[in-house]
Amino acid sequence: MSVETEGVRPLGIGAIGVVIALVALPVILPSVTLASEVVVFSVAALSCIFLLGQVGLLSFGQGLFFGIGAYVSAVLLKEHGVGTLPAIAAGSVVACLGAALLGLLAVRRQGVYFVMLTLAFAQMGYFAMLALRDVTGGENGLTGVPRPPLIAGFGALANSGAVYALLATLAFLAYLFVRRVADSPFGSVLRAIRQNEARAEALGYDIRRFKTAAFALAGLLAGLAGGMHTIFLGFAPPNVIELEMSERLVIMAIIGGTGAPVAAFFGAGFYIVMADVLSALWPRWLMLIGFLLIAIVLFLRGGLWGGIAAALRWARDRRHG
Amino acid sequence: MSGQVLVFQLLNGIGIGMIYFLLSVGLSMIFGLMRFVNFAHGALYLVAAYTAYVVSVLTGSMLWALLFGPLVAAALAVVAERLLLRHTYAMAHEAQILITFAVALIVQESVILLFDPLAKNVPVPDFLGGIVFLGPFVYPAYRLAVVAVSALVALLLWVALERTRFGAILRAGSESAEMVGLLGINVQRVFLAAFALGGALAGLAGALAAPLRGVEPFMGLEALGIAFVVVVVGGIGSFTGALLGGLLIGVVQSVMSSLWPEGARLMIYGAMALVLLVRPTGLMGRA
Repeated sequence: MSVETEGVRPLGIGAIGVVIALVALPVILPSVTLASEVVVFSVAALSCIFLLGQVGLLSFGQGLFFGIGAYVSAVLLKEHGVGTLPAIAAGSVVACLGAALLGLLAVRRQGVYFVMLTLAFAQMGYFAMLALRDVTGGENGLTGVPRPPLIAGFGALANSGAVYALLATLAFLAYLFVRRVADSPFGSVLRAIRQNEARAEALGYDIRRFKTAAFALAGLLAGLAGGMHTIFLGFAPPNVIELEMSERLVIMAIIGGTGAPVAAFFGAGFYIVMADVLSALWPRWLMLIGFLLIAIVLFLRGGLWGGIAAALRWARDRRHG
Repeated sequence: MSGQVLVFQLLNGIGIGMIYFLLSVGLSMIFGLMRFVNFAHGALYLVAAYTAYVVSVLTGSMLWALLFGPLVAAALAVVAERLLLRHTYAMAHEAQILITFAVALIVQESVILLFDPLAKNVPVPDFLGGIVFLGPFVYPAYRLAVVAVSALVALLLWVALERTRFGAILRAGSESAEMVGLLGINVQRVFLAAFALGGALAGLAGALAAPLRGVEPFMGLEALGIAFVVVVVGGIGSFTGALLGGLLIGVVQSVMSSLWPEGARLMIYGAMALVLLVRPTGLMGRA
């Protein structure tokens, strides 16, 4: 088996493209709010793409960690007067710890059983949120969450542009982080597990430990997205931790494609913009998403990004050929 | 909680549990037979419940609803299997999950399109509208009828699985579909029949549940979650497991919901996670 050993690639065109896209997004899209939403869900979709693309784990439970991040940062902002950055950081860390704990259990099962376990955890999270009404606000969520300066009174988030700048920066860092992890020796072991679990185990890698670590990292990303969502909305609605959130994140990941981290921006961007454009025209647009999902799984396994990358390669070959 | 209330909740739990059994046994069967995870199973329950709603509004008769609900659900299952699902048997589990999940989404949105997102009441049939005296207890007749009908269907299903050639093929198929194919049996047709039967049973569950809980477009997703719990707790591919699992979950949910409503759901999903971790073959499953 060839475990890739190419080391860290230069950031190159991909990263520059992401920066340009992040800067252009609020200009292209009809509102900064929409751009912010795209950026938040890109990070959440990145969590699913990392799990599926790197380790081959399908999780119907990433909404749980998104929700944990959202609620933890909302409680800290609202009740404890914490700055924006520490609140988001704490949400990510708690989600990461939660994912490490549940991951330790979930990776003991494989395939369908793993998927069902993540689904059970997601449902438990939702009903636990309802049961902890005093902390989470139950079905009302946590309203009136303030948007304080970044840290210790510095860096005021004066307008939606400043909020977007913060969210886009965090999304870019998350993207760089996932690329760095993918390029590390740790990342190549994860891909070895995805390609052939038995062989990776025979090579002496402790599969469960690697999977748990990957699950925890994915939890960190989902929790980060959750914290960003709270800042974006100024509100932690109960739907951040619903099973439907987990499903939405999976849909975004599949539509974008699981082959590369950059696909997260395509998946989330497509979904959010479609939701915005189509829901005004036809409230049942999710039906179209259903058909698209089937078409992608049957005919375009690389998702939107896979299709775009193939088209780019084809154009380049034609030019050189 | 007084004894009277406890008995009442216990009886309710048995009724709900039987509906859970009907809902889950097809999912379990299909997974056992072809290792196929059907995330669209809840959609069959949803479609049948809405069929029951329409039929009972049009004809005023719940009996027709109980006939048409399962028929429509079975027809939908057959169409989905023929057009789409059979092309995915060779794919990875993840692909099957995503495709059936997309089907469930499409069905759910179609229901909202045809009706609206609001919950609707389905009337209890006139002749079952009354109450029954069970010794010192008073109990709604319809709920008792649900238990009777589903027990009868469970019995028929058991006979069909254990005492007929078709049942023998189904059971053999869940041991090894390949071997059954080598013995000259058309496995594709067995798969189709399993989908039709599973669809009809989930449909009956939906039609029976409609007067108890009303209908709304998201009941399919909820039912899918419950069916997973029942199948996992009972043991995948096991008839007895689905029956025991259904009754257990129904009774726990019913009794807990009067003690600690949020905790009821937390507990049943916790039970599912626990069984998956400690004994993944379920209570009745074989290793």
